[in-house]
Amino acid sequence: MQETFWQKRLRDVAAVLVVGVFMFPLFWWALTSFKPTSAIFNKDEIVWFNFKPTLVNYAVTMLGKSRAELAIESGNTFGVGGASSYDSRQTIIDSLIIAVGATALTVLLAVIASYALSRMRFRWRQAYLNWILSQRFMPPIAIIVPVVFMFHYMSLLDTRLGLIFVDTLINLPIAVLLMKSFYDDVPVDVDEAAMIDGASRLQIFWRVVLPMVKGGVAATAVLCFIFSWTEFLLSLFLTNSIRTLPVKITTFVTSTGSEWGFIAALGTTAVIPSFIFILLVQKQLVRGLTLGSLKE
Amino acid sequence: MVSHHAQSLAVDVQVSSTTRRSVWPRFLTSEHPFPWLAPITALLLAFGVYPLLYALWLSFFKRNPITRMNVFNPTWNWGKLLADERVWGAIGHTYLYTITALLIELCLGLAIALLLDSDRKGYGSLRALMTLPLVVPPAVTGMMFLLMLDGSFGVLSMGLVSLGLWPPQYPILASSGSALAGILLADIWQWTPFMVLIMLAGLRALPKEPFEAAAIDGATPSQAFFRLTLPMLSRIIALAVLIRGVDLFRIYDYVKVMTDSGPGTATETLTSYAGTIYFKNADFPYASTISLFTLLLVIVTSSIFIKLFKVRF
Repeated sequence: MQETFWQKRLRDVAAVLVVGVFMFPLFWWALTSFKPTSAIFNKDEIVWFNFKPTLVNYAVTMLGKSRAELAIESGNTFGVGGASSYDSRQTIIDSLIIAVGATALTVLLAVIASYALSRMRFRWRQAYLNWILSQRFMPPIAIIVPVVFMFHYMSLLDTRLGLIFVDTLINLPIAVLLMKSFYDDVPVDVDEAAMIDGASRLQIFWRVVLPMVKGGVAATAVLCFIFSWTEFLLSLFLTNSIRTLPVKITTFVTSTGSEWGFIAALGTTAVIPSFIFILLVQKQLVRGLTLGSLKE
Repeated sequence: MVSHHAQSLAVDVQVSSTTRRSVWPRFLTSEHPFPWLAPITALLLAFGVYPLLYALWLSFFKRNPITRMNVFNPTWNWGKLLADERVWGAIGHTYLYTITALLIELCLGLAIALLLDSDRKGYGSLRALMTLPLVVPPAVTGMMFLLMLDGSFGVLSMGLVSLGLWPPQYPILASSGSALAGILLADIWQWTPFMVLIMLAGLRALPKEPFEAAAIDGATPSQAFFRLTLPMLSRIIALAVLIRGVDLFRIYDYVKVMTDSGPGTATETLTSYAGTIYFKNADFPYASTISLFTLLLVIVTSSIFIKLFKVRF
């Protein structure tokens, strides 16, 4: 069906409008992070661009400066004070360690297991795959209470290592199915040719097949990173002093008021790495989100 | 395909005399999947299966809040669960939320996917932009909408009020009638792009010929959509609904961040209720019971769905 000129224009306008609506919260969020408190809490009008942009919010959350310090630096000490409990550098570092650790462990385990699941024929292969798949359907809340007890006995409670383990557990089903679908795309002839040349399974895996699915490994890693980076429930239950970004940001809401400027600054920072990564693996994203069952 | 076993035997004979071969233990180089699957199986058993059995075991204990001791009493928590009005309220909210969100996100997602399914210049970038909400941490999304829906200075609230669409005296998230809708808004913003992405993948994979034939036969666009596109997408739609449905059912982040189950218990879902019992009452066995009950409902509901719509993976 050919679209007429005006139908095309209509579609263009509608498409830009819809995407614009979906981008608005992100735009508003980033804008808020540059606003002084007075502009955020303006009750009389919606503040668009009629404010003096400031980096105070970022200075407090990223550089760990207290508002009192900033006020002294700027020479305006009116109505400011209080120690900085909003310093979030350690949170960002902890979140990075946990997300990178969980990603590395997930990818390592998945890359090995999926190779066997893709290439070897054994009796309980399908059952095993279904079992992995079923893990994806289990709500994390169902296991969280016992995990708290387990971690308590194992001294893993409130540690980065503990969170790495549970994040890995949550990531594994998708990572395995994703990696398996990438291995399945490599013809078995490749393995067989290498075997005839006298290579062992391990050599074929390491020297021949793995280099061929490098792109798939990268996509899997990015998805795992994003899942761990955004994870909330597990870190809320399993940590106390170590805070990941999504949990830390909720502590800025207090009974005496919410520090929206700091929340927006940290929130904007939290979103940037995922954005960069996701634009890199746009294509593979669908596979990952649909457990790899939907081939494009 | 020739059997791997036969080939690897031949390879064994051929390489066994070389020195490199002896570096690895025998079982690591065999054709058996065990060494490949052992690490992942160990992790899944330790942090997935064992806690699940532990949760079941825990649900058979009655917690004494004063002595903080758990006493074996297998029917206590399950009886309490069935008699607990808050559980029934939470089930209601969970199903209401899941079904409403699924319907809206599916329809909206399909419509936007149809809109963005064009090869013309610029549409690739629009599709890329559309996926961005997906990677925002849900807790951050919750905060985002908490800010925008704030009763006194939130941009969305102020906009709605100034357009006369919402009475100024009722803050959206603090009114029991609208709080769940406010949370739903955050969910729709974050997850409609998921549906768009899946539907786009489906639309792009559709064969061209039936549509050309229909166009020659004089079919209108709406006929082509309902008679061709929709039936051909049905498999993907069912799969997307299943995956999203399971995720929706365990909704926690938005509720915890935006309303903390309130006002009162107006936005309490099964997962958030389990969290409340855990954090506020410290009744771990009962929290475990509610969690297991949630899992049970997920399994039953999704099994019915899989049977009904013949979903295949």
